[in-house]
Amino acid sequence: MGHIFSDIFFFIVNNVIFILTCFIFTVYLILSAISAVALRSYLRKNSYVDYTSILLAPLTPSISVIAPAHNEERTIIENIRALLSLYYNNYEVIIVNDGSSDNTFKRMVDAYDLERVSYFFDYRIPCERIRGVYKSKNGAFRKLTVIDKVNGGKADALNAGINISKKDLVCCIDVDSIMEPDALLKMVKPFMEETDKKVIGAGGVIRIANSCVIEDGQIQEIRLPKNFLPRVQVLEYTRAFLLARMAWGKLNGLLLISGALGLFDKEVLIKCGGYSTKTVGEDMEIVVRIRRYMVEQKLPYQVVYIPDPLVWTEVPATGKVLGRQRNRWTRGTLETLITHHQLFMNPKYGKFGVLGYSYWFFFEWLAPIMEFLGYLYFIFLLITWSVNWPFFLLLLTFVYTFAVMLSTWAILFEEKTFHKYKSRKEVFQLLGTALLEPFFYHPRTVWWAIRGNFDYLRGVRSWGNMEREGFGKDKKKKKKRRVREAETVQQIKAEQQQLESGKEAP
Amino acid sequence: MVVMIKYTQRIGFILLLFCLLDIRAAQPQEQPPSATVDTLMGESKPSSGNNWWWLMEVDDSRSGALAKTLVIVILLSLLCLVVLLIWILINRNKMQARQIESDRLMEQFESLLFDYLTSEHNEDLYGKIALIAKSDFTRGILINQMHELSKSMSMTMSIGANEEARVQLRELYNHMQLDQDSIRKIYSPKWHIQVKGFRELAFMDVTEANDKIRQALKSKNNILRMEAQLALVRLNENDPFGFLDHLTFPFTLWEQLNVYELIAIHDLPVPHFSRWTTSPNKTVVIFALRMIQVFKQQQAAPQIIECLAHPDKDVRHMAIVVCGEIQLRETLPHLKHMYKNEEYANCLAIVHAMAKMPDEMMLGFLKLVLDKEDNVQLQIESAKAISKMGEEGIAALVKLMKSEYKNYQIIIRHVLDKRIS
Repeated sequence: MGHIFSDIFFFIVNNVIFILTCFIFTVYLILSAISAVALRSYLRKNSYVDYTSILLAPLTPSISVIAPAHNEERTIIENIRALLSLYYNNYEVIIVNDGSSDNTFKRMVDAYDLERVSYFFDYRIPCERIRGVYKSKNGAFRKLTVIDKVNGGKADALNAGINISKKDLVCCIDVDSIMEPDALLKMVKPFMEETDKKVIGAGGVIRIANSCVIEDGQIQEIRLPKNFLPRVQVLEYTRAFLLARMAWGKLNGLLLISGALGLFDKEVLIKCGGYSTKTVGEDMEIVVRIRRYMVEQKLPYQVVYIPDPLVWTEVPATGKVLGRQRNRWTRGTLETLITHHQLFMNPKYGKFGVLGYSYWFFFEWLAPIMEFLGYLYFIFLLITWSVNWPFFLLLLTFVYTFAVMLSTWAILFEEKTFHKYKSRKEVFQLLGTALLEPFFYHPRTVWWAIRGNFDYLRGVRSWGNMEREGFGKDKKKKKKRRVREAETVQQIKAEQQQLESGKEAP
Repeated sequence: MVVMIKYTQRIGFILLLFCLLDIRAAQPQEQPPSATVDTLMGESKPSSGNNWWWLMEVDDSRSGALAKTLVIVILLSLLCLVVLLIWILINRNKMQARQIESDRLMEQFESLLFDYLTSEHNEDLYGKIALIAKSDFTRGILINQMHELSKSMSMTMSIGANEEARVQLRELYNHMQLDQDSIRKIYSPKWHIQVKGFRELAFMDVTEANDKIRQALKSKNNILRMEAQLALVRLNENDPFGFLDHLTFPFTLWEQLNVYELIAIHDLPVPHFSRWTTSPNKTVVIFALRMIQVFKQQQAAPQIIECLAHPDKDVRHMAIVVCGEIQLRETLPHLKHMYKNEEYANCLAIVHAMAKMPDEMMLGFLKLVLDKEDNVQLQIESAKAISKMGEEGIAALVKLMKSEYKNYQIIIRHVLDKRIS
């Protein structure tokens, strides 16, 4: 009798795993095909676009670029300077000092000659107390507004920025990310192309800046990361952005706009109550909420994905920090899925509920758990000497070749579209990484996801220390950065003096 | 937070779970001693000794079918992998070679075209250009270079000299029968090639294919339709904006911007946009109002006033904005009257418009807005409007600052701070 039950148990376990795997396998192939079509169409469509026409015309929507800063004293001056130099004619930059404990605020005040202004605003979205709003005495920086507030986290800082914003659209970014100078031009275009469906948000491709040459807050030379961990993340990001997200954008089922760069309709954000401070995955949660709001209000809408590299960011280079990041992503996903559980397979929400939410539920949250259980099951079979090795090796080969094939597909997409890595050596390095990834990287991501679930159950809600190497890690670079920063401050002072002497002149 | 990539390639190791499928089926005690690949493949089977077939040993026909499928998928994946790899390398080489060739030709054509425009011995140069521009690829590069050159000239040369150069380029274009290349493009089944054709014909003022371009105005493809509109604005001399009369699709802000650019940069004659303020297409009305604002067409005042009563709130909003921007003071009582029935965005636009055309008659109304409205933006805008009324406005604000009834100080300080606005 026991034997029959154990047979049934193993039959069910094996078949559930098999069906789920086939399902995932098929969905990825479908998404890749959709994204190939969408990418081709996007590239054709935009091959004729002259973005300078947006730059020159008086009809463009106004944008507030909001960048929360917490303990960013090392790079804040250059980062602000880069933000003030974006190509767009109608925007403001709002830096939110989120209760930094280092000299971030002081450095901004000194470098940009800030002084407190009597700024009247309303807490339309709840946020921690704003201690003061600062503007520069120097007219050259009139686009800049700095908010000093009590620490409340990234979401809270963004909410404070939205409260102060005077523009139609808000662009929420990470202050340590490097925006492409024309990022705003490219992101605003879908809002200008709006027809019967209101465009409520737009996101783009995030690229990895580790090992790239960066000067004055701009990418000067693009290089593939030297270390394995950042390099494997290049592959991961390429797959995610060019295969998966492109397809979800096409299907209007996109559930996530990266926190590193997203452009939103301000009024919709405010009506939805702004960013949630109760989750560590605020970037995903806000997209789900604004979509949900639009559906519930019966308003036609779309969230647009732009397959252009718009922002560069530094990814964790050590397993420890990467683990914390992935742990937080898992908790963020879980929090969002639980908060919006009503969406699950709910036809009322259309593709967004039935496809988008379910995809995240099965593929992003459940899959690593199933995978982990699979490992445990395999260990159990190993211990009980029950493994059918020939079949195991056959399946392993199958899995491996498929995984590498999909990665190669992503590399081809990158080559056909942006072609950012110019040398052939870098392409081969990427292919080599794809061969190693399934053995030396992926199992770790599963473990981090499991720990994320476990930490969620334990009630962990913190972000964790996300220490980065910084774009200027070595001593030479540090020295160079210090010199550059001093130059930046000097330049700012010179500009100010020039302005003042201009005022005095008859 | 950096993107939630979320292990999109999880597939790789999720599929590892695949490995677990049926691996239990071969428990030594249960496996029949003769279980070999034959049962799996349905063919004669070697024994499960030390040869490679041991890889495929399974214990029943169900798994056999599965293993067969897996082997096929593995082979397909490997094949795909090799094809993709070759594709990547070929594509890379092709792109690089094309880029180098294109750069070389662009440079060559640039110098030849420059000489063509400046020298008197055009026949020789024409021969040289014709000699290089033989294939479709080189002819395409030549057209691109003509376009580039014309664009750069329009920025650096006077209008007269620029026009003269354009005439010369057009002569060369026709002489080399490049117009036929462009016309061929607009008959292509591929929309992006058609767009290229539209652009080239518009740029070179070739009107021969206007009827074909006009057909694209009904296209459901937004880009094709937009490019056809833009081409006709340049090619239809009699009524360049006639397409607005029949436009049934939404006229997006992006399309509007492109049309505006044509008018502003390419020096096209500006029509009276009041003609389209009665269009049944609300996006066309909004565009017309925008253009009235940009080109300060004060004579359109009656039509703008009519638009203030338009059933669509977006049209009303645009009309309110235009009233302020071109200072239609006669609309002030009308705007005041509208205020109570409008939604927030339009109320804000009304107060903002009043700030653009300060009038003491509105002081009472604006004080009322400042006093009664709870919305911060409305309070700020009304205080700003009052502050723009000169001495009387400032005096009113000073009086309000002393008021004990409500704390206006912070609002007024905000409004008077020039660093903020």
